[in-house]
Amino acid sequence: MKGSRRRFGARERFMLVLILPAFAILVAFQIVPILIGANASFRSWSLFDPQKTFVGLANYRRILADPIFYGTVLPNTLVFMVGSVTGGLVAGLGLATMLNRKFPGARLVRVGILLPLMVPPVVAAIMITWMFNDQFGVVNALLGTLGLEPVPWLVYRWTSFAIVVMTDVWLWTPWFTVLILAALQSLPLEPHEAARIDGAGPWQVFRNITLPLLRPVLMVCIVVRAIDAFRVFDIVWTITKGGPARSTEVFSIYAYKQAFVYLNFDLGTAASLIGAAIIMVVGGVLYKTLSYVVEVSR
Amino acid sequence: MSRGGSGVLAPGWGRAFFGLAITAITLLMIFPVAWMVLTAFRPASGVFYVHRGIEFTLGNFAEALAKPEMQASFVNSGVIATLATVFSLAVTITSGYMLSRFRGAASSVWFGLIYLFRCIPYITWVIPLYLLTQWMGILDTYLGLLLPHISIHICFFSWIMKGFFDGISPEMEYAAYIDGCSHWGAFFRVALPLAVPGIVALFILSWLYTWNEFLFALILTGSRTPMLTVRMAQFVNETGIEWHLMAATAVMAIGPALVVTIFAQEYVVKGLRL
Repeated sequence: MKGSRRRFGARERFMLVLILPAFAILVAFQIVPILIGANASFRSWSLFDPQKTFVGLANYRRILADPIFYGTVLPNTLVFMVGSVTGGLVAGLGLATMLNRKFPGARLVRVGILLPLMVPPVVAAIMITWMFNDQFGVVNALLGTLGLEPVPWLVYRWTSFAIVVMTDVWLWTPWFTVLILAALQSLPLEPHEAARIDGAGPWQVFRNITLPLLRPVLMVCIVVRAIDAFRVFDIVWTITKGGPARSTEVFSIYAYKQAFVYLNFDLGTAASLIGAAIIMVVGGVLYKTLSYVVEVSR
Repeated sequence: MSRGGSGVLAPGWGRAFFGLAITAITLLMIFPVAWMVLTAFRPASGVFYVHRGIEFTLGNFAEALAKPEMQASFVNSGVIATLATVFSLAVTITSGYMLSRFRGAASSVWFGLIYLFRCIPYITWVIPLYLLTQWMGILDTYLGLLLPHISIHICFFSWIMKGFFDGISPEMEYAAYIDGCSHWGAFFRVALPLAVPGIVALFILSWLYTWNEFLFALILTGSRTPMLTVRMAQFVNETGIEWHLMAATAVMAIGPALVVTIFAQEYVVKGLRL
């Protein structure tokens, strides 16, 4: 009895030592900063107020009452999220279906398609900015060849925004492709064969057999990417900096600008915490809805 | 084993259509990179008409690298990526192992924490991290970037490592216990060697993620420790961009990615499959 209790103790100790380093780093560099941020968000924490007076929810009220925040930033963030996830999902589904067969040069195609995933987002953003440069970019050169007027892409809100979403879709399509392709390759063969013997066409097989079987994977892809797309920063910052005239600002850019451009740490941290709360709710709802959809479709 | 089939069209046409489509998509995916590479080899005068002219040069690379700040940023990004990857893997391998092998309160609380903090946007903790590292006196130093960088992927990598260990049967470890091996002995001598392929995959991914990272580098570094991605983003916003130098720098920044995609593709795919 005594011996078994000692072994149990050793087991517990082993478990704790295994997670202790990761836990310590998580606390020191993620949890503590979030608490510091929460503290700052309840105070008047700018360069001009060394007192750091407690102001309650005033900062939150100011952010929520800011027309740029609720009128531009939040809609932009949500549109970006939906556009980027939908685009990547559709493209990834299509590509994975195409790659799920043997053909000459498949390896080469796979290298080409995987490439965007490895490219630093900042560099991708620079490449796109260069391609869409109004004077010397290849896109306008192409338009010129076709006899069309050049378009100043980054001067208008919606063309800038479309370019940013497109860049994100380009960066993340390979990720969707890899995950969906892995799922496709592990699907059972029998339902497909049975459907084909019953005379179903390729589209019907895809629509009625493949897609429902893929739902669990698609759900994971959607939730993970939606959460990541919500916090996008690098490509928006590099391509538009939130411009023209703050019209393409997303949530992370807004919080960053409050803290480091306008030097209002209090408003910046308040905005960042509001964003965190929103993504928790959106992520939770998305997860629940999609789990429900998956359950129902089974 | 082909499962797609091209039922609607005659087989020949179907295959032709498929070949055309897959070629077009592949070209579209590599076009931005290819265009940047092409630009990088054009002389300064030819850069504005990349599609015309046939002069090519290697001078852009030499010129871009001649700037001491650029050299420093390549070195810094490489050092931080390597150190952060080593430390981050060291702590997440054990954490993932624990999540995979032990059930119970401690395990589910830890998993819950990881899941929760995986969802919190980076900006929420990186703004206060500026205050924290400033207070610790390590803002704009290696340490001030390295420590937060180790923390970035704790949640995500613990999750992935759990998956790797889930795929390894614990039977061997039980056998090792019976032979008198301690917990640590079973972990180091039995489980760890079997997880090496997964760890290699994660090493590559982690290195690239850190090399590519922008937001933390932007906020936590300044002129003393220039980082590659931050320098490049500043490039774009300077008036009168020197596109030929920009392109040459970008191509060098993509270098590791190109090497990995071509030579270690299988590992990356493995790492991404969660």
